[in-house]
Amino acid sequence: MNKLYSNKFHIIVFLLPALLLFCGVLIAPIVMSAYYSFFDWNGIGAKTFIGFANYKELFSSNAIGFMKALRNSLLLAALSVFLQLPLALALALALGKGIKGERAFLSIYFMPVLISTVVIGQLWLKIYNPDYGILNVFLRAIGRDDLTRIWLGKRETALGAVFVPTLWQYVGYHMLLLYAGVKSVPTELREAAMLDGASDAKVNRYIVLPYIKPIIRISVIFAITGSLKSFDLIYVLTNGGPFHSTEVPSTLMISMLFLRNRYGMGSTIAVMLIILCFAFALLINAIFREED
Amino acid sequence: MKKVLATLMAAALAVSMTACAVPAPAASAPAAAPAEEAAAEAPAAPAAEGETTLTMWCIATESDANRPAYEQAIAEYEATHPGIKIEWEAFENQSYKTKIKAAMSDPDSLPDIFFTWAGAFLGDFVDAGNVYCLDDTYKAFADQLPEVMMQNASYGGSHYGVPLTMNIVTLFANMDLLAEAGWDHVPETYEDLTACCDALVEKGITPFGCAGKETWCVTEYLEPIIEKTIGYEALNEVFAGRATWNDEGIAASVSTFQDMINKGYFDPNGMALGNDEVKANFIAGKYAFYQNGSWNCGEVNDAEGNFQVALFPVMDSSKATYGQVIGGPSDTLAVAGSSKNAELAANAAFEIGRGICHYGYLAGSGLPAWTPDYDTSEVKKLVADVAEIVANSEGMTLFGDTAMSADPANTYLDYVSQVYGCEIDGQGFIEGLANDLQ
Repeated sequence: MNKLYSNKFHIIVFLLPALLLFCGVLIAPIVMSAYYSFFDWNGIGAKTFIGFANYKELFSSNAIGFMKALRNSLLLAALSVFLQLPLALALALALGKGIKGERAFLSIYFMPVLISTVVIGQLWLKIYNPDYGILNVFLRAIGRDDLTRIWLGKRETALGAVFVPTLWQYVGYHMLLLYAGVKSVPTELREAAMLDGASDAKVNRYIVLPYIKPIIRISVIFAITGSLKSFDLIYVLTNGGPFHSTEVPSTLMISMLFLRNRYGMGSTIAVMLIILCFAFALLINAIFREED
Repeated sequence: MKKVLATLMAAALAVSMTACAVPAPAASAPAAAPAEEAAAEAPAAPAAEGETTLTMWCIATESDANRPAYEQAIAEYEATHPGIKIEWEAFENQSYKTKIKAAMSDPDSLPDIFFTWAGAFLGDFVDAGNVYCLDDTYKAFADQLPEVMMQNASYGGSHYGVPLTMNIVTLFANMDLLAEAGWDHVPETYEDLTACCDALVEKGITPFGCAGKETWCVTEYLEPIIEKTIGYEALNEVFAGRATWNDEGIAASVSTFQDMINKGYFDPNGMALGNDEVKANFIAGKYAFYQNGSWNCGEVNDAEGNFQVALFPVMDSSKATYGQVIGGPSDTLAVAGSSKNAELAANAAFEIGRGICHYGYLAGSGLPAWTPDYDTSEVKKLVADVAEIVANSEGMTLFGDTAMSADPANTYLDYVSQVYGCEIDGQGFIEGLANDLQ
């Protein structure tokens, strides 16, 4: 076997299909997007090379609203890190202790991840429906008509209303990642701490959390990059509206590419998304490394 | 031995990958993405030897109201033209827009005949030189297809598209609800309309429903008001970019529309609803009026209740008349410039287009762009009523988002959406559009 591993020809032959697939599916589209971002192109006619003009317009034009879309994504990322992840961690720690019905709870919390996002979108559209949606019906039932809203139709409430299901859907995903980490903490470490008189909170604080730090880091990276790339649920619920109040870079990109026929600008947004995701992943790694 | 084994495994891997690959299509075959292939429906059987095959793309999927009209028209064409086979595929509306635009960047991948929307949508393809000019073929059909119906697909004085059906913005009225408010007819003046709406509101009936989630539905309200204020010719000039948006008449129209919203004439929940939900509410008797495309005639006609169709009343009689309408022929068949049988395909486009118009009109899925030369006594009542409105129309303005090319059309829709949400007033609307589009 060692002989096999040392033969470069065999290594190359085995790696080549995956490498070709990786380059064809991932690298080539990124390179092409970067190339198209330097053109003014409607996707049909001739392309006009305009250098960095698309990038300049992206950051300076209020009509495109990229900065606002980016702000919404960053807000979603912040909520993911400071609301979704702590909730997922709390659930993972609670379940990791081996409570009764652990498996059932695990399945229930993970269920939203398994359901198609479009189905979840339709579900929440019904919940938010101003006429018969369960949210407004409940508020009316408890005599709080003053709190009923057109949740997805008003600028003031739409963003929050879109974020709730987005955060809710992936709590189970992060919980499962963290739960696996919590379960991997050696029992003897826990028991030793308990024998020394440590409470549950202290065991979690001083034993479990440091032990699962690499998983927390992965969860943070997934939460932030996932927020930057968020698209499907927002597309189903509001498609970026009303008045672009729930716009995120991905919905803006679709609008530029397929509604406005601005393939150059759409490619520019795609490139910016890739750069931002990489930048945040590196930043988070650096922060965690510094803490270590 | 291990070395041989490893080499064999590598070879097997390479062979298996090759075996998994789909054979490359012939150079002339349309290249469809997997998702698009999945969306495509009912490709015809392969042509027999000696037959000429014409390929065609459209959006008449199984769920489309026009599907039976396409099937009948194509079957009729094939029956009357032995030796010519139409190999057609239907795609879902939204994915088709992406597919046809992508195909335009590689003209060889285009079918011989393709469905398109007239106005700027087809105009972009014509500008790119990818569409066959139909001037010569049109001559043989000119007596059945009025020149005016060809206008939306004409560029630089030449014809590039065959219109199928046509549609206009129609005011649908639930006469049972109007009767509850003491009205036995659809108001024909703006004063009467506001009096009727006030009476409806007093009775607890919402006069209008409008889907704010789909901005084109808002334009179905705003554009008729603008047209009935400044006149169809002026609005055509604005949509074509030859006149400025900075027009006090347009600002006044926006104010009128927002007055109606602020007086509670529109369902406030409409802002969060899509068109299907609003239409369902109207048919279920929640709203007294619903203003939308005449393609809804068949559905409304078949619903339970007493419905009538009309037009939005005149706002400024010095510039507009009641008979001016928003709409026109938009659904169109065009022929690819790259077609190897372009002349034959052009003839087929006209004949199939005529058939689709014929059967579509009888089924109530659109108004005839072609002059009917068949028995129309079986046409549904509301469709016949709208056809009469069109026959008496005094001017027509194509839907704004069809008349303008993609980028300005979406900027326009952004502003319309802000008008409906009362985020900007009439002045903000005209100044913003004048600034951003001109």
